[in-house]
Amino acid sequence: MKTIQQALLLALCICVSGCSPVAPWQRGTLAKPQMALESYPLQSTFNAHIYGSREAATGSSAAGGGGCGCY
Amino acid sequence: MAVIKRILTKRHAENAGNSLLTMAYRQLSERLLTRTITKPKPTTAVSASLQALTAAALSLPGLMPATAQAADEEVSFLYGYYEESNRNLFGVNSRFDPIVVDSLLGSSKIKLSDRLKFAFNYTQDTWSGATPIATAPLSFGGNKEGGVISGATPFLQNNGVLFDKQLNPLRQDALTGEYIKDSQLVHTLSSASPEIRKQGDFKLSYEWDEATLDAGGGISVENDYESRFGNLAGRWDFNRKLTSLNLGLSYTDSDTRAILDHDATPYIFDVGRGAESYNNTSGSGRIQKEGRNNVLRGNRQDWGTALGLTQVLNETALLEAGIGYTRSTGYMANPYKVVEAAFIDPAQTGEVLTGVSIGLLEKRPNERNQWTENLRYVQYIGGLDAALHFDYRFFHDDWGINAHTFEADWVQPLGHGWTITPKVRYYSQDAADFYTPYMASNQAFSKTAVDQSGRPIYVEADNPDNGNVYFRDKDFNLVDADGKIVDEIAVNPINKAIPFDRNKLPGHYSSDHRLSGFGALSGGLTVSKQFAKGVSFEAGAEYYTHAGSMKLGGGGEGAYADYNYYTVNAVLKVDLSALSLAGSEHSGHAGHNHHGGHAPAGVMFDHMMDKAGDVMFGARYMNSTQSGAMLHGTNEVSDQAIVQQGCGDDGCFTVPGGMNMNMIMLDLMYAPTDWLTLMLMPQFVDMDMSTRELNGAPSATFNRQSLINHHTLHEHTTSGIGDTGVYAMFKLFDEAGHHLHGTLGVSAPTGDVGVKFRDTHRIDAGFQHYGMQLGSGTWDFKPSITYSGKLDKYGWGAQLNSTIRLEHNNETGFAFGDMFQSTAWGSYSLLNWLSTSVRGVYTVQGSIRNEYNGTFNKLGPVDYPANHGGRYWDVGFGINAFVPTGSLQGNNLSFEWLQPVSDDVNGYQLPREGALSATWSYAF
Amino acid sequence: MLALTQIPTVFAAEVGSKAPDCELSSINDKQRYNLQQFHGKVLYVDFWSSWCPPCAKSFPFMNELDRDLKDSGLQVIAINLDQTHEDAKTFLAKYPANFTVAADENEKCARDFDVKAMPSSYLIDRNGVIRHIHLGFREGAAEELRLVAGQLLAEKPEPK
Repeated sequence: MKTIQQALLLALCICVSGCSPVAPWQRGTLAKPQMALESYPLQSTFNAHIYGSREAATGSSAAGGGGCGCY
Repeated sequence: MAVIKRILTKRHAENAGNSLLTMAYRQLSERLLTRTITKPKPTTAVSASLQALTAAALSLPGLMPATAQAADEEVSFLYGYYEESNRNLFGVNSRFDPIVVDSLLGSSKIKLSDRLKFAFNYTQDTWSGATPIATAPLSFGGNKEGGVISGATPFLQNNGVLFDKQLNPLRQDALTGEYIKDSQLVHTLSSASPEIRKQGDFKLSYEWDEATLDAGGGISVENDYESRFGNLAGRWDFNRKLTSLNLGLSYTDSDTRAILDHDATPYIFDVGRGAESYNNTSGSGRIQKEGRNNVLRGNRQDWGTALGLTQVLNETALLEAGIGYTRSTGYMANPYKVVEAAFIDPAQTGEVLTGVSIGLLEKRPNERNQWTENLRYVQYIGGLDAALHFDYRFFHDDWGINAHTFEADWVQPLGHGWTITPKVRYYSQDAADFYTPYMASNQAFSKTAVDQSGRPIYVEADNPDNGNVYFRDKDFNLVDADGKIVDEIAVNPINKAIPFDRNKLPGHYSSDHRLSGFGALSGGLTVSKQFAKGVSFEAGAEYYTHAGSMKLGGGGEGAYADYNYYTVNAVLKVDLSALSLAGSEHSGHAGHNHHGGHAPAGVMFDHMMDKAGDVMFGARYMNSTQSGAMLHGTNEVSDQAIVQQGCGDDGCFTVPGGMNMNMIMLDLMYAPTDWLTLMLMPQFVDMDMSTRELNGAPSATFNRQSLINHHTLHEHTTSGIGDTGVYAMFKLFDEAGHHLHGTLGVSAPTGDVGVKFRDTHRIDAGFQHYGMQLGSGTWDFKPSITYSGKLDKYGWGAQLNSTIRLEHNNETGFAFGDMFQSTAWGSYSLLNWLSTSVRGVYTVQGSIRNEYNGTFNKLGPVDYPANHGGRYWDVGFGINAFVPTGSLQGNNLSFEWLQPVSDDVNGYQLPREGALSATWSYAF
Repeated sequence: MLALTQIPTVFAAEVGSKAPDCELSSINDKQRYNLQQFHGKVLYVDFWSSWCPPCAKSFPFMNELDRDLKDSGLQVIAINLDQTHEDAKTFLAKYPANFTVAADENEKCARDFDVKAMPSSYLIDRNGVIRHIHLGFREGAAEELRLVAGQLLAEKPEPK
């Protein structure tokens, strides 16, 4: 498991450092509904409730935002 | 890792003082590593708070993705259904159905100003069915068959369980009489009456150009558990919005108040004296006597923080990374779960040891520190216009649980607004340090106390703890501490017993399957369709499989604990800003029947859609209450009269003290042509009833008295999907301020009419009262005719409506009486958006026909068909607000209070206290 | 030194600096525009995309602005930055524009203006100087933008 985490962290570093700057007008793809971090928020809430009542690992995911350069 | 190691060391240190138990415990744990363990139930206390926390975390505004597509103003509803598979009871036929849960979620977001947003969510869950409350070797017979009722019920207070010298459980072969080592474990199942949880939460957000601040809070309420929570979150965008930083903080405060009643007698140790025994073994004073109930109280607090970073990687990929920390303190156990403990007296010799086994309420640490780390990656797949979502989450806590969650979703748009999303998820967790399927303790369950010289000590049977001790002299006379002979009959001596030493049990123990080691694999599919006018529909399904053998790295619980579940859900969403966005061609279209002449909130079928293609989306809420002194016809009546006349020859034992009903109805209307409007109305209902014993009731048999206690000591609730209405409305006349339309429709019997009480004292408590069922159970014909008119600021209207049962009886044997209602109202517009109304209502309803065809214990007037229906007058006072322009144009919100004026009931019934209706609708 | 030579392009899109010129094409036909040709008018230059919700909200406002202030000498130009004209055309069918809509095919104009957000609007006075930059669009911004446009229209052009 440790390995998986390390691999993911490494991937993260590579990505962040290797990011190509995306101009505000180049974010049409990122703004597509299928690119939303949470595609179906209400269903996710429902599922999280079920998982939370069946598994020991409780909620608390983090982050959000970003995406399109719209204000 | 360091943390975990420290805990292990600590536990070993604690146990060092009692090596025998340590050994037994260790052997057991080791055996269990390769064998199996437990599983618990869904949502009692613990899960509810987890849920609350989860919901709080999810509703943290900063933690929700702000996509370009997210509508600013939106209303959405979800209905979800959960059903578990049967548990393996190894040939025992359980009396209980597996758990099912009905969930309803409503969510709304509106803009209060350009930068200020308000969101409100409402959640309602109802669950019923069987859940594991303990685990034990199969040979303990925790699911006991036979007795008064068919099917197994929980029974865990066993004297005489058998072990070998290595503390392996033994089973005696029925044929050969031989003792065979049998480590097979099995859950003990119990069930509850339907229980309901309601949660309301809100969020207020302020947006700057490159930052957002959110504050939210909410409350979740159950019979035995209440949580209040608040949260704060912030989001900062920088790097030209390629990067966002999120920070969240949440706090939850939860109270447990669990009634440990006589029903728990077969599986919670000595619940009759439960307060002392639990408080003794747990070393806490949580259980107190309240009235005739033993009540366990606990408080718990959770502080959570989360930090996240979202980064646009390139034109087609997005990454989110987050860490979270939650600290929980206080009472975190489940008050209904026990750990089966076998006590084996080490003084025994021979190959077969006898033990006494009892169920002890579980004990968890009062502190839990939890960490999560998560990564989400979203990649656009160009050729297919699809997106791949990958999530990984690592969770660890200082209870020794490490958990991994992997999830991948493929979101595939298909064109014409359709999207299909398959998903797969894998979850694996280690067991908590203190998880144990059951315990075997190397000590006697109880011993006879002796003094220093070895004489047995006696105490008073009626008051064993008063400090007086007695002995036998050599002539077997009872003497007190000073050696004086006492009156044996007055003292009524019994041997003083020394109970087992709780310090020889582990410090903490739980058999909750959520704390065991297991893996879970699930797969699901969501289909969504975006319609014109900002309406979208989603349907989802998931199948989940839980198995000890699927745990990462092995060592999970045994196959006996495996189970599966499935969920299905449907979501309807309306984007309120779609209308105002679509340009100005819609203005002037706000009319419908709303201006001035809107009917009061309590009137159904009050208006049609104006034009072909119009759509309306709405929700209605109704709450009605009955309470007070019982009526016979129009007069208050004494207990004595009810006892003698309310229940035929049997006599009445109880009457309801009060009853509440809540209904949520969704209202979907569509006009295919100008003169016809179609309407679909699903309903969700929940009810609760309290009961009291009648003064002067006849004396009851033991079983009947048990049922009476069962009713009077608890409030009973039922909840779930109600009946579903399908209607067609026809325009008959529409001119010059006068409008007339007729409605024809049916109500389909989708509501359950077979809701039962949970068992008590191994007695089948049978069906709940007629009025507590969730629907009518029959197909009902519902015609109505409605007239409405308006002139300037005045509006008026009248309606006749009726409910006619199309069947003589439903599947459980009865049919409600037909209903006829007439109503008339007038309204006046105070402002162009606000009007008030007053109305009168007359209702006649027939009594119930036929009666239940299954086990049904008649205790009071509510259980007799003749005591239903009546003739009623009400007056209603209403207020109605309509948004004529702006981004919320087309929204309508109205309230009405219906005040009973006169009740003329059939037979003996509770009077009505009044009803509140609230209606929201959005026409476009 | 190399870095310094690039700075002027970046600074070119600041408030108070001269607006860069742009070569633009029509979405529907072969017509071509450049900003220079509107010299002497007050320009409202808006950069938008079909996928951007606030852009959709700004279109009714720009229609009103065009209707009310066109005769006083305001020129509204909405510069589309979609990758395909089809997306822009679908958008325009839903949110009709009565003002000038043009495409910036090689994104040069957007780069020269150093567009920081979608949408971004630039108010340029009769002398070709950027006087106001507004990022994003909310309903509440309409009043301010209208006010600034009015002020710029009231100014007399500097004699060359």
